[in-house]
Amino acid sequence: MPLIQFRDVSKIYHTGKVDFPALDQVSFTVEAGEFLSIAGPSGSGKTTILNIVGCLDRPTAGSFHFNDRNIAEQSSNQLADIRRHHIGFVFQTFNLIPVLSAFENVEFPLLMKGDMSPRERKRLAEEMLAEVGLAGFRNRKPAEMSGGQQQRVAIARALVKQPSLVLADEPTANLDSQTGREILELMKTMNEKTGTTFLFSTHDRMVMDRADRLILLKDGKISSDEKRR
Amino acid sequence: MLPYLKLAFRNIFRFKRRTFITFLATSVGLSLLIVTISLMNGIDKDSISNIINCQTSHIKIFAPGYYEKRDEYPLDLTIGDPSQHYSALLAIPGVQAVESRILFGATLINGADELPCLGVAVETDRDPDLFKIKESILQGSWIEANDLKILIGTDLAKDLRIGAGDTLTLRLITSTDKENFSWNAVDVEIKGVFESGDPNVDRGRIFIPMAAAREGLGLPDQASEIVVRLDTAWEKRIESLQAQIQQTVNKGSSDFEAYSWKQLASGFLAVSKMKTRNSIIIFGIMLLIAVVGIVNTMLMTVMERTREIGMLTAMGMKQREILRLFLYEGGFIGLIGSFMGCILGGLFSWYLQAKGFSITTWGETFQRMSEAIYPVKGVFYADLSFGVLLMVFLFGTAIALLASYFPARRAARMDPIRALRHL
Repeated sequence: MPLIQFRDVSKIYHTGKVDFPALDQVSFTVEAGEFLSIAGPSGSGKTTILNIVGCLDRPTAGSFHFNDRNIAEQSSNQLADIRRHHIGFVFQTFNLIPVLSAFENVEFPLLMKGDMSPRERKRLAEEMLAEVGLAGFRNRKPAEMSGGQQQRVAIARALVKQPSLVLADEPTANLDSQTGREILELMKTMNEKTGTTFLFSTHDRMVMDRADRLILLKDGKISSDEKRR
Repeated sequence: MLPYLKLAFRNIFRFKRRTFITFLATSVGLSLLIVTISLMNGIDKDSISNIINCQTSHIKIFAPGYYEKRDEYPLDLTIGDPSQHYSALLAIPGVQAVESRILFGATLINGADELPCLGVAVETDRDPDLFKIKESILQGSWIEANDLKILIGTDLAKDLRIGAGDTLTLRLITSTDKENFSWNAVDVEIKGVFESGDPNVDRGRIFIPMAAAREGLGLPDQASEIVVRLDTAWEKRIESLQAQIQQTVNKGSSDFEAYSWKQLASGFLAVSKMKTRNSIIIFGIMLLIAVVGIVNTMLMTVMERTREIGMLTAMGMKQREILRLFLYEGGFIGLIGSFMGCILGGLFSWYLQAKGFSITTWGETFQRMSEAIYPVKGVFYADLSFGVLLMVFLFGTAIALLASYFPARRAARMDPIRALRHL
């Protein structure tokens, strides 16, 4: 059973009197454990796919199933629950909570889930922070860390709740190439270690090359879907 | 709930300067509220205390028709042989002391000037149990039953440039009837000068022993009123005691009327009530300023944290949880602002309770205007109570929560995709 099923998904944005078709009958499936990248020029529909897969948006037409659940049939609260339990997000601009320390940022999704003892929660958050190589930075606030370190915290935050899927929107765009490569390697390692599915949107050649599968978009349509490994 | 509380608490200190200004606006507004309420309560308390202790005591009994004409001090509407009622009145549980008095129009003449005043004839052995004139004597001593001497207030003494031991002429107006106006004059010595704290009494009343007044006024055994003092514990039951007292004095088929101090001071109480209503409007304006401050702070916070709101939604936070997070932030602003307001207002009110707020330097005209409304002289004292602090604290917090609702709702309803794209 695929983790993600896109069937003839179209998305039209209404901006004033003009309709803008962002996706046009897009179909693809993603199996659990994949490490894939969606690439294409600006306005090709990458972010729209990420938003729909991330249960933040709904298709105008077609169907999207996540873990065999038809997303169109879920209420806003149910979608929030899916995001809370099954989807981790990594953003281009890191988006850590500035008033929380690195450790507290990683712990926060577990607090939101609310199904864990404090001891277990702390152990998991500590472990995840160590996994991303930031055990010694636990009490640092985001403003006291470099961009690469912040993105590592963001990856730890996305993975700590053991989601089925991590969505990363241009995760290396705000990093220098060396740090970007390290972040990418970290995500690949975590993908292999935990079996978590990673889905990126990017137009960074390095990210495209590192992905096991690359979907290329053009004008809201898939122009190529290529398995590389 | 706890992680959101922790996050909300930290968030309020994120923009320190703005938070500080919001705290300042809230706490200054609320502290002014506390000071105003405490001061008004203090003025009311002192005014009522002066009315009871210097003017009316708790209950007065009049002959029929006297109450309506009481401002004219009629001497033809009197109670004959009032002392016959004393034992029955004193037997009523809650009655502490009884006295009869005559109120009459008078003029004091010092040779050069003459000033009108109200003459109060008292039973010198009973009056100190009802009123505080005896204990407020500054110069000289209390009058005795057979004295042909008077007591005079400090302000009246000052106006006439006289003091204890001086002699002047007292004109007693025996009839105020326009066609039959009559008076009697007698030279009296000033035995004492008092300062009761009630400007009406200190400036406009003289006290004379009952026997001397009766002789001067030609009233062998009458009195204008019987005054009743209640035990402190019974003051709250004044209405029922008033009825009982009226019934007691009317046993011999007479129809005397008993009035409580609240009826006798109805003018002051009406002004006090109006003042409370006006103050509510002022409080409303003060609070509006605090509310606008909080709404503004919260709206700016929501705007500045748009992307963070998008991120929290992406992480799975529900609308109601985001609403709650921002309400907590507003609530914390309210809690801390109210707490600071209570400390500030409490300290200032405590100072005003101990030292008072003097208007003596504001000029005599202002002071006279103030005294015309409140029977309190020169210095106003606050009356701070824990109830006021608690009420303002809860009120401030509730207002802050209410003021945060609109910005919080705006945050909760934000479209996460737009929020995440927000720069």
